[in-house]
Formats: sequence, C-alpha cells, structure tokens
Amino acid sequence: MRISEIEPGTKVKLKTRKGNFACRILESPSKEIILIKLNSGYNIGIKEEDILDLKVVKEKDDSSFRPSQFLDAVSCSSPVPLPSAQKGKKNNEIASLSQEKPNIALVVTGGTISSRLDVKTGGVKWLTKTDELLKFYPEILEIANVAKIEVPFMKASENMDAKDWGKISEVVVKLLNDSSISGVIVTHGTDFLHYTASALAFSLGKLNKPVVLTYSQRSSDRASSDANLNLICSARVAVSDIAEVVLVGHANSDDDFCYALPATKVRKMHTSRRDTFRPINSKPTAKVFSDKIEMIATYNVRDNKKKIKIKNKFSDKVALVKFYPGQSPDILDFYLKKGYKGLVIEVSGLGHLISEGKNSWIPKLKKLTKKMNVCASAQTIYGRLHPLVYSAGRELEKTEIIFLKDMLSETGFVKLSWILGDKEMRKEVKGNMLKNFAQEFNECLGEEEFLN
Amino acid sequence: MIDYKKLGFKSGLEIHQQLNTGKLFCRCQSLLRKDEPDFEIKRKLHAIAGETGKVDVAVEYEALQGREFIYQGYEDSTCLVELDEAPPEMIDEEALKIGLQIALLLNCEIIPVTQIMRKTVIDGSNTGGFQRTVLFAQNGFIETSQGKVRVDSVALEEDAARTISRENKKVIYRLDRLGIPLVEIATAPDLKNAEQVKEAALKIGDILRACNVKRGIGTIRQDVNISIKGHPRVEIKGFQEPKMMIKTIEKEIERQQENKKGKSCVRNAMPDGTTKFLRPMPGAARMYPETDLPLLEIKRNLINLVKKDLPKLRSEVKEELKGVGLNEEMMSLILKGERLEDFKELLQIKNEPNLIAKMLVLWPKDFAKKLNISVDKIMKKLNLDVLENVLQSLEKEEISRNDLQEILFEVAKGKSIIDALKVDKISLNEVEEFVAKLIKEKPGLSVGAYMGIVMKKFKGKVSGKDVMEIIREYVE
Repeated sequence: MRISEIEPGTKVKLKTRKGNFACRILESPSKEIILIKLNSGYNIGIKEEDILDLKVVKEKDDSSFRPSQFLDAVSCSSPVPLPSAQKGKKNNEIASLSQEKPNIALVVTGGTISSRLDVKTGGVKWLTKTDELLKFYPEILEIANVAKIEVPFMKASENMDAKDWGKISEVVVKLLNDSSISGVIVTHGTDFLHYTASALAFSLGKLNKPVVLTYSQRSSDRASSDANLNLICSARVAVSDIAEVVLVGHANSDDDFCYALPATKVRKMHTSRRDTFRPINSKPTAKVFSDKIEMIATYNVRDNKKKIKIKNKFSDKVALVKFYPGQSPDILDFYLKKGYKGLVIEVSGLGHLISEGKNSWIPKLKKLTKKMNVCASAQTIYGRLHPLVYSAGRELEKTEIIFLKDMLSETGFVKLSWILGDKEMRKEVKGNMLKNFAQEFNECLGEEEFLN
Repeated sequence: MIDYKKLGFKSGLEIHQQLNTGKLFCRCQSLLRKDEPDFEIKRKLHAIAGETGKVDVAVEYEALQGREFIYQGYEDSTCLVELDEAPPEMIDEEALKIGLQIALLLNCEIIPVTQIMRKTVIDGSNTGGFQRTVLFAQNGFIETSQGKVRVDSVALEEDAARTISRENKKVIYRLDRLGIPLVEIATAPDLKNAEQVKEAALKIGDILRACNVKRGIGTIRQDVNISIKGHPRVEIKGFQEPKMMIKTIEKEIERQQENKKGKSCVRNAMPDGTTKFLRPMPGAARMYPETDLPLLEIKRNLINLVKKDLPKLRSEVKEELKGVGLNEEMMSLILKGERLEDFKELLQIKNEPNLIAKMLVLWPKDFAKKLNISVDKIMKKLNLDVLENVLQSLEKEEISRNDLQEILFEVAKGKSIIDALKVDKISLNEVEEFVAKLIKEKPGLSVGAYMGIVMKKFKGKVSGKDVMEIIREYVE
C-alpha cells in the first residue's frame, strides 16, 4: 500500500531506516515527507524513501483521533450552559434561552477568531459549525443569550471587498430590526476590520442598538487567546445603551479591559499585538471591563423602537493610492483608463504632492478632477491636513482635490465608495465627503488624541 | 543490600539542561536578572481542548477560574514573542547546533525532518499557554560499567517563566527565563540499580559539560523515574547533585515497599534523601503543531559539520592532558575553571604545561587574596592577551622565567602589560650596569659576595638566578 493512499489519522506500524514506529499518519505539507504522530505526542517527518515496511493497525482509529472531537470535548464538559451545543439544534435556532439575560446576535464572517487548528494538516481552518465559536468561548453566555448566529460568509478579511460590506450591513440591519435582539456582535479578521467598521457606520446610519465588531490576534487553540476577553467585553457593549458601531478589543497587553473604539476613527496599528486597534484623532468611546463600562465620550443612546434603514451600496471603482517621493503622476492615467470613479491619495505632510518639475502632479490633477472624484488624506495618519500653509498645498488646492481634513485614509476610501455607490449622494460628492455622517471628522483634535 | 533484580527495579532518567545561547524562538539574550523589572503584564488563561479532545475542560476551567498571572519584564531584554504578542522567530541555530552535538555524543540518530510542537501548559508559566518543543534525535545510547543504557529521545524546548511569588489566585512570573533553550534527554527504563542511575547521570552530565551549556544552580534539572514490582511509576524531581541519587533511590524503594498501594505520582527529592509528594502524575502531554513555523529540516551538511567538530568529553580531555605532562591536580583545576581552550592556545606559544596551568588557575587566586579583590576581576586583567604577551616575551628571552609571577602581579595591580614588561627590562640593564661598576670598584671578591651586595641593592626586584648569570659573565 502506498503511503499517499493512506488516509490521515490512520494508525500504522512503520519500519524505516531510521527506526520503527507505532504512529499515526498525518496530512503532510510536503509530498516527499510523511508526517507522523508518535505515541509521545511529537510529530516527526519521515522521508518516503526511508520507509521499509508499513502495516495498518486499525483503519481509522476514530476513538481518539476524530478532529471534530477537538470541539466535542468542550461541549460535553463545559461548566456553563451551552444551549446551542448540547441539544444538537441546527444553526440559527437556539434553545433554552435564559429569561433574565438579554438576547444578542452573532455575525460570523471569518478571521482568526472563527478559525481553529486543523489536526490533520496542522494548519488553521475555519470553524465548520456556526456555534462552535461559543464552545471555545463559553464565558460570553454569562452575559447574554446568543439567540442568533448568522454567517454571511467565511473569509480572511484581506479577501473582502465592497460587496462584502454591503452583505454584512444587510445581515446586521435585519438583526437590529428584530425586537428580540438587544445588540449585534460581528466577528471579523483583523487586517481590514477597520474598513468594515467604517462601512457599517456609514451604511447603518444613526443606530437603534449597539453594533460591535471584534476579533482575535491569538488563535483559539491557545489558552492565552485574546478572543476571550474581546468577546466578553463585546457582549457587555452589545447589551449596553451605546447605540453606535464600535470596535471592541484589548486596550493594552493586559487581559484587563477593552476599549470600545469609534468605527470611523480606528486603525490596525500593529501586525501582531492584541491591542493592535488604536483610536486615531479621537478618544476611545468607552473603557469596557468584563463587568462594567466606563464611558469616555458621549454617545448615541439606545432606542429599541427605532427601525433602521440602510444605504448599503458601495462602489468598487474607488482606489487608495499612497504618494511616495519622486512618484510620477502617470499612475493617475491608469485609474482613469480603468474606469475608476474615485481616488483617495495619501498625500504628504499637511497636504502636498509634487508641485514642480517634470513630475509635478498639478497639471494632471487639474484635468483629472473634472472626470473623477479625487480626495486627499494624510499619510502621517495622525493630524489634520492644512493645505494653505505651504505653496505646494496652495497649488494642490487649485486642482479641486477634496482635502479630507483629519479623516483616516481607510475611512475616506470606504466613504468615497459609499457615496459613489448611492445614486443620490453621488450627485454632490464634495459636499457629502465633507459632511460628518459618522464622526469621521473630529473638529477639535486634543492632546490625548495622539499615539494612544 | 537491596536485591534490585528481585524487586523488579526499573528506572530511567530525564534530564533538562539549559544551553548557553540566546533564546530558542526569539533573538533575545538568555539573561536571568535580579534588578527590578520595568513593567508587568496581567493575563488570564482559559480552558481549551487539546488535539484529541480528551481533556476534561470542566476541570481545567474550574482550575483557571479567576486566576491571574502577572508577568514581569524588562524594556531592554523582554520582547513581544515572550509576551505572546508576536509569532515566534525561527529556531536559534546555535542552540540547534549544540543540541545536535549533545545528541551525537549520545550516539543518537538525528531526525531529518521534524515538527515544532506546542505542549499545552496552563499553570501560567508560559504566556501562550503552551511550551514549544521539538523532538530531533532518538535511538541513542550511553555506555556504563553495567552495560548500555538506551537514550530514547532528545528534544529542544523552551524553558518556562520563573516563579517569583505564588498566592491563591495570583502567580507572579518573570519572563527572563521564558524561552531559554533546554535540551531534554530521556533514557529508556534500562537502569538496573541506584549505582547505575548515578553513573548514567554523571555520564550524561559529562557529555553536557563538554558542550556549550549553562553552568550553575538551576541550569540542569535531573528527574529519575522509578518503579518496583507492585508499585506504579514514581517520578522524583529536584536532585541537586548525582551524589544524593543512591541514598534517595534506596529510601524511595523502602517507601514504596511499605506503601504498596501508593499511586503514580511526582515527588520532590529532599536534602536528607527522602522524597516528598509534589503532585499526581500528569496525563500524557497534549501536543499539537506550532502552526506559526514550518517543518524543521535538519540538513545532512549541518549534521556533518557538527560531527566534524564534536567537543571532547572531560574524560577524553583528561587523557589528552596527561599526555601533555600535566599533573592530575592542575588538570582538574583547568577543567573546573573552564580554561582548557586558553590552556591549549598558550601551550602553542610555549610548551610549559605546568607553568601555563599555574598562570591560568593558581596565580590569579593568590593575587586575589593578596590584593583583596575578586578572582573575576583579576582574571579580567590577566586575560588571554596579557598571558600570550608574557609568554612570548619569555619565549624570546626578553624576560626571565623567574620574573613571570611578579610581572603578572604588577598587571593584576593595575599596570599595563607593556609597562610591566618594560620595568623588568630596565631593571636587568640596571642590574648589569651596577654589577659592572661594582666589579670595577671592588675587584676580586667572591661570586657569593657580589651576589649578596647586588641582591641587597635590588631587594627582590630581580631574581637571584638572573643576578648570578650576570655576575658570572663578568667574573669569569
């Protein structure tokens, strides 16, 4: 029997040039190497050419190697009630809700927080059942009943696009308009989470109930996963009076409290830290502990009776361009030729692009703004654009480019996509881009709104 | 006498030794610190199921409920990997090399492709909730006077964070120790009696010390697994030295015989040779792959490179040194002081093994005593450069052998080596001038008489032998 024909998980006895092993075959990342699990728990690789003899011990020893048991064990012995898991109910209908606890809904979209270790491959894969998340993090159920779980799709956030924002909005608005639901938690990959946060803030408008986006930076197989506190605090916000779109996650490296961060003023600032999301040009909305919330900013108060209407069309003909030293403006021709309708350029300093010499952007931009909506955001991330301070900025202003003040580039990109996606709003792009829809502008930048 | 055979005595060793390199999965130094930490991070762990899902999560959950772990770190020597805030870096190459040396000296086969694993640990001693470990060698053996003892496995793993204090629901750890590379050696249960356990432990210790491992208390942990017929396996931890092994094993056998219903457990070796219950025997470790790192391939050419340059064991080195003509006492001092490499280097300059040994290990101690400063400080002043310089001068006959100790003493006191050597040269010239003048002024005296006058004049600044030689030149 050829090794490659043996199903992962099969128990075998191997005779090899490197010794004999009683082991299990695992899925190998490489063709030439057979990955095996020894009885000691260690995995090692054997080169196929080193194998002298192989005997299958018992086909599919499922008593101790069913990957799904990784999850089953949790549901069988978890000390807190797991209504969804225990009764074997199907997705979306969850039995035995507690009368005392408010109901919340969960929208699962992918990301590390919805992935788990796949024992066969040793890689990380999506949760296959929607309520699995609760089996990993049962503590959330001490705060609220998770009455509904929706899964519009499962994606790593770098694979999401403008259509996906529309889809998530659609799912969320249904839940917000459901009188049995107190609030909604959206779990999401971290990379582009802040884009989705902005998209929801714009498309949902003034809210009736809390919409909380959350994530994890450390996978669920670790006892140290940050998802635990993030979900507990998210549930705390979802049942609170804060009727806003907020992003909830670790405030610092401690497992102590989270920040609720305003959806349009937040950015992923670190590749790996659990407190990666930071408020930019803004304060956090609130400090969230597992058992209490301390407000920092004013907020829109819950109004359960209100029904929400969404504007969830986003144009995919918008691009985000980062300006770099010596860059030729020729790149603009590309976007025009490809039929783009909007452009956000991350400009330097207070609002500058090359304004002299052969690479000057000014002449091209003057023509371009007649055909396309072009905005400028600050590549410094923090601070506000002030194009009138230097002549380069004054030159740029003459091109009719729209300066986005203190708005984040990412938020500007999403907003432009939203405005261009809406038939009415796109008639007045400049006016709408500069209108404060969802706290994307902060008129009064304070001392504490830098590097926090 | 204990009849081990009749008892059905079975025993195996498990040894953990810190390697003298940077950390295993980040590029930080392995530095245990006594100064106040710069910051603390507060964390919690939550229950998780392992790869096979066999864990009773409920029990784990209860155990972790409300428990808080504080991790102390330093701005300049703690990194995000240790804080569980960044993925691991590739395995430390130097640690892997030392691991390979040890495994090859234990006659093991190296596993050409292996996987770095996460071993679940939820006592908080690892910030991630797991310890990274990788099995890289197996099927080795060591020879003892009572026969071969098989070495089942050799693994590299991360040391855990250091416990600073432990309260009911709060444990404080320091991150300085977390991630220091450990080599873990496990023998088969081949050890037939206490004597052999001790011999095997010493033998493995000998192999470890031949390689670049950390020295001192806490850098090696030796556990002994013991079972006798009718009593389940017991693991004894915390041996401070192999000396105590025989006494402890004998007492443990006695205890097991009196206590046949005893359970499999982990016990602590006490200084008086008894053992004390520590905890029940843990279940099989839960291990799953370190998904942040690729498979570890140990290439043939790396193994060959390590093989070519395997360090010699202490026992082999002793044989070699005997051949050079070094006496037993000096040999031990050189090895104990870890001056073997320096010794060999100096020997190339001047083939005077016993003199060099004195320079390296005896005189620094004398100087330290005389000057009332630490031997370490003396050693720093009498570094290899200084010793080479002095020996070269001796080889070129610029200085006298008899002045060697005095010159080094001057250096130890703070003089630069150049000045120390110069002073001596001038003084010999001065001696010669003085002798010439003396003989002119007082001709016809005996050699002994001239000697007396000269020695009185230069009072110990010059050796009698040198003076004698100079006088002879003029008198004869």
